[in-house]
Amino acid sequence: MILKIDNYLKRSTASSKLAVFRICFGLMMLYSMLRFWSKGWIDSVYVAPKFHFKYYGFEWVESLGSYTYLLFIVCILCAVLITIGLWYRLSILVFFLSFTYIELLEKTTYLNHYYFISILSFLLVFLPANKCFSIDIFFRKKQYNEIPQWTVDAIKLLMIIVYFYAGLAKINSDWLLKALPLKIWMPSKYDIPLIGETLLQQEWVHYAMSWGGMLYDLSIPFLLCYKRTRFFGFAMVVFFHVFTAVLFPIGMFPYIMIVSALIFFEGETHNKIVALLKKIIQPLRSLVDISSIENMHQFNYKRPKWRLWILGVFFAIQMVVPFRYVLYPSELFWAEEGYRFSWRVMLVEKIGYTNFKVVNKTSGRSFYVRNGHFLTDLQIKQMSFQPDMILEYAHYLGDHFKSQGHKNIGIYAESYVSLNGRSNQQFIDPEIDLLMQKESFKHKHWIKPFKDEIKGF
Amino acid sequence: MFKKISLLSLISVALFIGCSDDSTTSQTVWEQKSQMLTNWADNFIIPNYQNLSNKLSELETSVAAFNATPNTETLEATRVSWLEAYKSWQHVEMFNIGPAEQTYYHLKMNVYPASTENIDALIVSGNFSNLDNAPYYSAQGFPAMDYLLYGVAEDDTSLVNLYNSNSNYSNYLTEIMDRMVSNTNYVKSEWSSYRAGFIASVENTATSSANKMTNDFIYYYEKGFRANKFGIPVGIFSGGNIFPEKVEAYHNENVSKLLALEAMDAIKSFFNGNGNPSLKQFLDNFASEEMPNLSSDINAQLDLGKSSIEALDSNFVNQLNNDFLGMAVTYDNIQAGTVLLKTDMLSVLQIATDYVDADGD
Repeated sequence: MILKIDNYLKRSTASSKLAVFRICFGLMMLYSMLRFWSKGWIDSVYVAPKFHFKYYGFEWVESLGSYTYLLFIVCILCAVLITIGLWYRLSILVFFLSFTYIELLEKTTYLNHYYFISILSFLLVFLPANKCFSIDIFFRKKQYNEIPQWTVDAIKLLMIIVYFYAGLAKINSDWLLKALPLKIWMPSKYDIPLIGETLLQQEWVHYAMSWGGMLYDLSIPFLLCYKRTRFFGFAMVVFFHVFTAVLFPIGMFPYIMIVSALIFFEGETHNKIVALLKKIIQPLRSLVDISSIENMHQFNYKRPKWRLWILGVFFAIQMVVPFRYVLYPSELFWAEEGYRFSWRVMLVEKIGYTNFKVVNKTSGRSFYVRNGHFLTDLQIKQMSFQPDMILEYAHYLGDHFKSQGHKNIGIYAESYVSLNGRSNQQFIDPEIDLLMQKESFKHKHWIKPFKDEIKGF
Repeated sequence: MFKKISLLSLISVALFIGCSDDSTTSQTVWEQKSQMLTNWADNFIIPNYQNLSNKLSELETSVAAFNATPNTETLEATRVSWLEAYKSWQHVEMFNIGPAEQTYYHLKMNVYPASTENIDALIVSGNFSNLDNAPYYSAQGFPAMDYLLYGVAEDDTSLVNLYNSNSNYSNYLTEIMDRMVSNTNYVKSEWSSYRAGFIASVENTATSSANKMTNDFIYYYEKGFRANKFGIPVGIFSGGNIFPEKVEAYHNENVSKLLALEAMDAIKSFFNGNGNPSLKQFLDNFASEEMPNLSSDINAQLDLGKSSIEALDSNFVNQLNNDFLGMAVTYDNIQAGTVLLKTDMLSVLQIATDYVDADGD
């Protein structure tokens, strides 16, 4: 067994694989950041709001106000450096830190896609993606044809986890037996040409899409892994993600997944891509002297052990975290305890309506808060159906009104949530003073139990 | 060959199922929405503006007669036409879309309480050009006229005397009357060109008129109706400190309930469409298995709100001073309607509920 592992760790593969991945990743990130900026979201999400929702344990993350733009500039700069492969190790590290910091600034914008970028960039910190076709090799005068197989497999494994867990999450009674929430979403896509008024209005299509989506997510890792099915698998990847890009406002994610799936191809493919890119930038290459770069066969880490340990722990966490929900007694989709960081995408249609009552416990008098005074529309929408945000906001309101001189107050939520087309149900126990409740990993007993049952993962 | 045949048969099965229509209606969503928009434009928005415009020109005539010879009879006639126009306004207030939205029409017509300070100051100065500016929106429209016809003097005789002795009062009344008429007629006439685009804008985007109008309707129910008419006066947002002076038509005092009931009728009739396609029919066609009776649930809640308004004192100031808890109960019943509209209805309609522009998961 140990021998097997040892042999595996000694196996090598084309260094162009990670080079192509690095370039694609850099370009995608560059475009994503510029797109985010051009839509004015830096201001509307990070600068304009008075209050920011923070992740539990990361309340110390300081909002930077208009300096957030600087953070984005750092991120953009890193994306450029990653793409051209200059000071790669530093630039990917700074990218990971700055991108993650941005994500930690505001919880209401949480997307599984952003989390994916964050952990993928963390992974890339430990991988030799600059050993081929980078500016770094020009300075170091050495380029390598081969890199350890495990460094490429690490990225594959992360992608496999993302797809497979997303597929597992779709094995639930709402998704498979009721075609929810697609049955609610698809008819509203009537304005999509050709299919909008026809296919998307048909119930069987909703079921086909639900089952197809589940089977796709579960099978795509295997289709991509085996050479015989790889082209078919990649064609599926392209079709599926382009289709979702047409149907849903999911930004850059489909394209990031499509180019990331290239990692599964053989080294020849990547060598061809690198050769093509070299041709394109030939005028630039002719300006520098590349003859002095020594061509080495195989790159190996001198001390790979600690790297492997870090990756081992990293992947162990990735595999366990999505299952943490089993520790909570509540319905996962309803209370969302253990919902994030688990590749649960597109699974719920949730609408909430949550108002807060500030009660003076001495006089018994109360008044209601106008959420629009404190939160943006996006924050109100997200907060209204996520208990941790409801609690965090209640505490913010408590601090605010106490600083205004209100004494001995309690804050109560009147919250109604509709989940996957069910009638709205009271979400938070209205008798509970939220100021007396603290955020923790423990079950939030003040979330009213879901009156229905959703079976499955 | 086998592959080709199986592919062919798969396609034909797909086509067969695709063509067999198992939905309850043979109309496309596009057609349904466009019928809904046509109904809203032709049977609600345009005729309601027309009606308001008619009522306002009747009021204009009464105001002119009153200004020519201020006495208690002409005053009474003006008050009657004012109330009639105010009632027809209740059928227009939810349509804050298009030309109305662009010209801040609603803010110029019915922001209350009226700023009596600003009105008094303008009357003293005799120069009314400030009315173009946003801080003076609350010095015009129906609430300002409420003040001018009921609030500027202790009793009717002294009020008439005021108009007889100081022409600035008549001038101011004429000024805001003119503004109400011209602002309304502008919106009304713009609709004849705006209509075509309104009806055509059927797609499901945050800016399409189908979505904006639905959002405006919900917003009106929550803000213009629920909060302004009930929530704010009864102290929902102010720690139980009641504000009788913030009821609609405060200076008249006796018609707040009448206006609120008129507004509730407008809400119900818009929701149900008066026999033509509107939100009710749409909810019925797209009812989810989990809430097959959503439209009747909403109607039941609106009826409950209505009967609970009917139980109130017709004078909201008295109601608040004597039994503000009674109004708080009414507020709760109306609020329960907001919950249905903002969660269940939006869940079925699947429209962009706000102008939040962000990526999803």
